Amino acid sequence: MRVDVRALGACNRLAERGAKQAAGALSDLTGTDLAVEVTGASVASGEDLAESFAGRESIGVSVGLRGGLDGEAVLAFDAANVDALLSLLPGGASMERSAVTEVGNIALGGFLDGWANYLGKAIDMSPPRYFEADGAAVLPDGALAGDGVFLFESRLDATTTDLDFSIYMLPDSGPFRDLIVGKTARAATAGGEADGGTQSTAVPYESLSTFSSLAKRGSANAADNIAMMTGLETSVDVSRLRFVPLADVPAEVGTEPHAGTVFELRGEPSGYLAILFEESSAAAVADAMLPMEPDEPLGDMAENALCELGNVMTSGFIDGWANVLGTSITHSPPEFVHDIGASTISPLVAKLSERQDYGFVIDTAIQTEGIQARCDVYALPDERELARALDRLSGS
Amino acid sequence: MTRSLSDDRPDDPPDRTESGGDAVADAEPAAVTGGAASDDPGRIKVGVGELAVTSDDAVLTTSGLGSCVAVALVDERAGVRGLLHAMLPAGEGRTTAVSRPAKYVDTGIDSLIGALDDAGADPRRLKARVAGGAEMLDLTDAVGPRNVDRVGEVLDAAGVPVVASDVGDAVGRTVRFGPDGRLVVRAADGFERAI
Repeated sequence: MRVDVRALGACNRLAERGAKQAAGALSDLTGTDLAVEVTGASVASGEDLAESFAGRESIGVSVGLRGGLDGEAVLAFDAANVDALLSLLPGGASMERSAVTEVGNIALGGFLDGWANYLGKAIDMSPPRYFEADGAAVLPDGALAGDGVFLFESRLDATTTDLDFSIYMLPDSGPFRDLIVGKTARAATAGGEADGGTQSTAVPYESLSTFSSLAKRGSANAADNIAMMTGLETSVDVSRLRFVPLADVPAEVGTEPHAGTVFELRGEPSGYLAILFEESSAAAVADAMLPMEPDEPLGDMAENALCELGNVMTSGFIDGWANVLGTSITHSPPEFVHDIGASTISPLVAKLSERQDYGFVIDTAIQTEGIQARCDVYALPDERELARALDRLSGS
Repeated sequence: MTRSLSDDRPDDPPDRTESGGDAVADAEPAAVTGGAASDDPGRIKVGVGELAVTSDDAVLTTSGLGSCVAVALVDERAGVRGLLHAMLPAGEGRTTAVSRPAKYVDTGIDSLIGALDDAGADPRRLKARVAGGAEMLDLTDAVGPRNVDRVGEVLDAAGVPVVASDVGDAVGRTVRFGPDGRLVVRAADGFERAI
């Protein structure tokens, strides 16, 4: 199956609208302003999912779908987030089950409305079923066996609390499949879509999951390199390949001050890579690398240390790509950044946005043991070049 | 239960507007508030490549401006304000400028003035405040300064005077645009000034 990344953009747009509808309905229900901060679509293989769900408890709502879409859609909250959700609802904890069911029903309804419109066909929804699940049992039936699922994640921002939810759908149901392979989009926009055309951006589904595991390996390399340079034990907390509207990326980094390094990637794919630490983490990691305590926490000495660290992390990150993709990728010297997190990444997003509205983002969180430090790596490859490289990958 | 185009369930949000098969390609409508019967005028967050207009006391905010630029327009007499967070200088002639005009300075300012006009402002009375457009990185060939230049050109052509600005340098900014018509600019270290 070939997935059209443009069509994936359309899917994401639908998910975003669905999330907005859900946020609107929730605002009415709770009397709190809620705004959708980020909506992303990701491709997750069964194996990845089983791993990332290990030890997680989820509470959710599932509905069966018939008509325009077949299969099952699941909306899940992390169990840890449910208190935040309930605190917003009238009646609070005493209504847990019914409140969550209602919220899930509203959100899934909003989400599916958009799809029904896009497909021009009604989608029948079975009554919502509430569930609590350990680990990957939260996923729709069959998710772990086949190609995995398409995962749509949204983060809603309330004034007082953040609320994350995820919607999972299987890619293999007929109409949904037509949608992501670009068939529906081509039919709907026949004659339109001036730049590019859809063929150039269609990639085999398997290559996407290959790239996803590649990204994971890159993260592990980068983490190892931190360990080597700092002597701190490291682990990769999260590593995901997601497809998101580029405009959402700065909000995802957030408004806290961050320090770190950014790089330009050259080759196939070209793009950018940013390694960002929260200030305290940056200072702690620099401190661990320096022979003596620096005069100022994030002064010149720390800057040099973080640049050096950025260099080896970036090499570790992209080494594997070039090998597997059979291309050559190099990176620019590091550029040190220290400012509002969103501001540091906004020029990268702006540059990439000259050519594309959506992008693949590999985000990785690396955690160090011993001292409390954590960094996020954002890799932003050029969409067309990545699609080309992935396409070649499947042909060889 | 059925989800479809014609389904008019009572629990649907009242503003649910659907437009058929090409929904995805539609322009995102600007967020507009005003006249709502609410005690708390609230806060309207304007994301990257978005704009919003208000005719009540809501505070318009946008955060994490780096090379992006924020354009705040007010018609003080009509009490109508709008805020744009644009990412790139020039959108004219691009396909995405149709679906996301606020992504670009030129098409964004045009849309913002249009939305203010619709909300009761007189475009001839508008005043502008501008923030952002920092030169954060050497890697990204001066996209910030180019944004700022474009803002100047487009506002000049539209006959909107810039009464204050806090632009350039290599600093990130977060802004709040409140009912007094001043733009409060905040830096990463928490330092704030109203322009």
